[in-house]
Amino acid sequence: MIKHLFKLVWNRKRSNLLIMLEIFFSFIVMFAVITLGVYYADNYNQPLGFTYEDVWNISIDMQTGTDDYWSPEMVNTTRQLYLALQDFPEIEVAAGAHSAPYSLGNRTSVNVYEGKRVEMEVNEVTDDFQKVLGVPLLQGRWFEKSDDALSWKPVIINQRLARAVFGDEDPINQNFRPWASDEDDHRVIGVVNDFRKDGEFSGLGNYLFERKRLDDPKNRPPANLLIKVRPGTPAEFEERLLSKLQAVAREWSFEVSPLVRMRETAFKFRLIPLIILGLIAGFLMLMVGLGLVGVLWQNVTQRIKEIGLRRAKGAAANDIYKQILGELVVLATFGLALGALLIVQLPLLDLIGFIRPPVYFFSMIMALLVIYGLTLTAGLYPSWLATRVQPAEALHYD
Amino acid sequence: MLKNYLKIALLVLQRRKFFTFISLFGISFTLLVLMVATAMFDHEFGPFAPELKTDRMLGIYSVRIENSEKGYARTGASPYWFLQRYVRPLASAQKVSIYSLQRSVNSFKNGVKHELYLKRTDGEFWEILDFKFLEGGPLSAQDEKDGNMVAVINEATRRKLYGGQNAVGKTLDADGQSFRVIGVVENVPILRVTSFADVWVPLSSAKTNSYLHDGAGNFLAIILAKDRADIPRIKEELQGVLPTVQIPSPTEFNRVITAAETLFEAAARGIFANDRDAGDYSKPLFALLLLFMLLFMLLPTINLININVSRIMERASEIGVRKAFGASSWRLIGQFVVENLVLTFIGGAIALVGTMMVLKIITESGLVQYAEFQINYRIFFYGLLVALVFGLLSGVYPAWKMSRLHPVEALRGKSI
Repeated sequence: MIKHLFKLVWNRKRSNLLIMLEIFFSFIVMFAVITLGVYYADNYNQPLGFTYEDVWNISIDMQTGTDDYWSPEMVNTTRQLYLALQDFPEIEVAAGAHSAPYSLGNRTSVNVYEGKRVEMEVNEVTDDFQKVLGVPLLQGRWFEKSDDALSWKPVIINQRLARAVFGDEDPINQNFRPWASDEDDHRVIGVVNDFRKDGEFSGLGNYLFERKRLDDPKNRPPANLLIKVRPGTPAEFEERLLSKLQAVAREWSFEVSPLVRMRETAFKFRLIPLIILGLIAGFLMLMVGLGLVGVLWQNVTQRIKEIGLRRAKGAAANDIYKQILGELVVLATFGLALGALLIVQLPLLDLIGFIRPPVYFFSMIMALLVIYGLTLTAGLYPSWLATRVQPAEALHYD
Repeated sequence: MLKNYLKIALLVLQRRKFFTFISLFGISFTLLVLMVATAMFDHEFGPFAPELKTDRMLGIYSVRIENSEKGYARTGASPYWFLQRYVRPLASAQKVSIYSLQRSVNSFKNGVKHELYLKRTDGEFWEILDFKFLEGGPLSAQDEKDGNMVAVINEATRRKLYGGQNAVGKTLDADGQSFRVIGVVENVPILRVTSFADVWVPLSSAKTNSYLHDGAGNFLAIILAKDRADIPRIKEELQGVLPTVQIPSPTEFNRVITAAETLFEAAARGIFANDRDAGDYSKPLFALLLLFMLLFMLLPTINLININVSRIMERASEIGVRKAFGASSWRLIGQFVVENLVLTFIGGAIALVGTMMVLKIITESGLVQYAEFQINYRIFFYGLLVALVFGLLSGVYPAWKMSRLHPVEALRGKSI
């Protein structure tokens, strides 16, 4: 039966080639869009590593073009700002950070540890950062005031980084330098589950916290102050907060936004392109489906004689139905096999490394199902039409 | 003869309405997506108010200051000293303006917070660009020199802060500073990198004047040429000046790389060279965009070819008759291609109407701040061109196939 179907497809190879090509490209398009969607959904389901409710971010513009340089006065002013925040009863706890959650821009470091190339995002945060954002610790401890006295520098890493660098060994108290150029002695004091600064849809990566001090002129002043406000703090608080900050640092500029709002912006930034792509892909598939209906319909009208002969020789309507759909499945399988063969190369050759292989394979299966479904749906009406062929009519058709 | 082809084409379209519908659906959808994309592209790079002199305008969008021995660099908007000392004096330019990137600032009015984009400019900015004033007038070079706390605002800000009433002479509090409004202009869409802002104030109104000698900064420049012929001269002159630049921290950095370029050239240089050299990469970027367009058209084209091939089979006997009476293959190919072009252009007309509707929806959604997307003649002609290419691509293969039919077999109604 299957061998016979192959033969039937092969006999009409020229016109079938075009249909196969169409199915092949549809599969590629569908795969690309589904992969992106599954990638986002997969990321969304991974732990975020912090809570954003009732946290506001104050981003500080120190009116310099770069944060590579800072003066002792700048460090001092930042400290004054931090102290000013303590006076507000609305603020439960405040912390400084180099980069805030959901903000743009990253500090990425690439370092080599015992021959392994390790890439990670680095953030500098103060002792209260954990309290503000509720970052859960898996192992060890967070930074604290008494760390001032240490002769080495403490760092906290996420679990992924710990596994990438130390494997199954206990990461606590291991030496690990975040920057290749930094000669100081750094030691891991804690491991967090994760910290995904760019939000729920961002990819999974390595993360490292360095300890920032506000009272040391050698420390770069933080570009952001994060505050945890009491639940139910009204939006009007923003104006009072800003005027106070402005009074402490007249020459600087500030921007206050609740993390909830920054999260919305970050979501839009990721989801709008996906929605547009999805819409376009949806319409493309509708177009392909309709086109297939037309082509198959034409095929059936062309093969009336052949179908009539089969009916005359005793084939049931159901047999005809099976034959037409069967041919279509064979055709689709060729196109899809070609596409799958091509796509399997991506994870095998590790061409797009940031997407995990399971995401690839799941998307591939989804895309296969979608395209099979589409082709079969498109084939329903034409194959039904084929079953309506009357043998007598078909045989004297010319 | 062409008239006959058109007649036949229209008759064929009416014969099998389902086929006509699926062809038109594919064609109009494809052209619609391409035209909407073009409209977006045009609103970013094309000449739109207030940037009407784009054919005579160049800009400094990105400056790389590097240490070529140690390999580190600072890339991005320019520090002020570079533009002031080396770009402003360019002899072949007619006018040069220095302005800052816009920054989001807060303005409180009656306890409500408004987020406004604030841009600092010099006086030349207002001479080069053609802002449309609803009331009042522009910032002047004198305002910049005296450090006057004056501001030009856009229509949207006037509506938000002053309820749409006359705003000139009123006070604007933004970012902890207080300005006097001296003019109101029409909104500029956020896509316009050079001119966009809600509030424009003099460079010298900055909170401190440390920007004058800071090693880094966020400033850009517009260079206006007397006429188009001066454009290459300006580019060359700037490249000639670069080796003589004295960097304030010579031990740290020893080389400046930048170019006087259009926004498109700047985007191309950023993508292909990562701003590491001053070459012109606009052609590769253009080729890349063209490639994307063709890739997108691939699936619709195959789809249309499939449908076309099917449609021809129906007409085998007609083709047989024409061949038997001596029509050459070329003539038949011509006929079918014309028929397909007629179909494509009908689809193009539908797409045009659809594009207008989609652009209206995008405009009203406020997704792109202040943008008012509309069809203009550039987008229209581009759409026409794309429709032509699409019609040819999808028509030639089926036509060639049709022309190879043997007359006797075709008359008997044999399939291809």
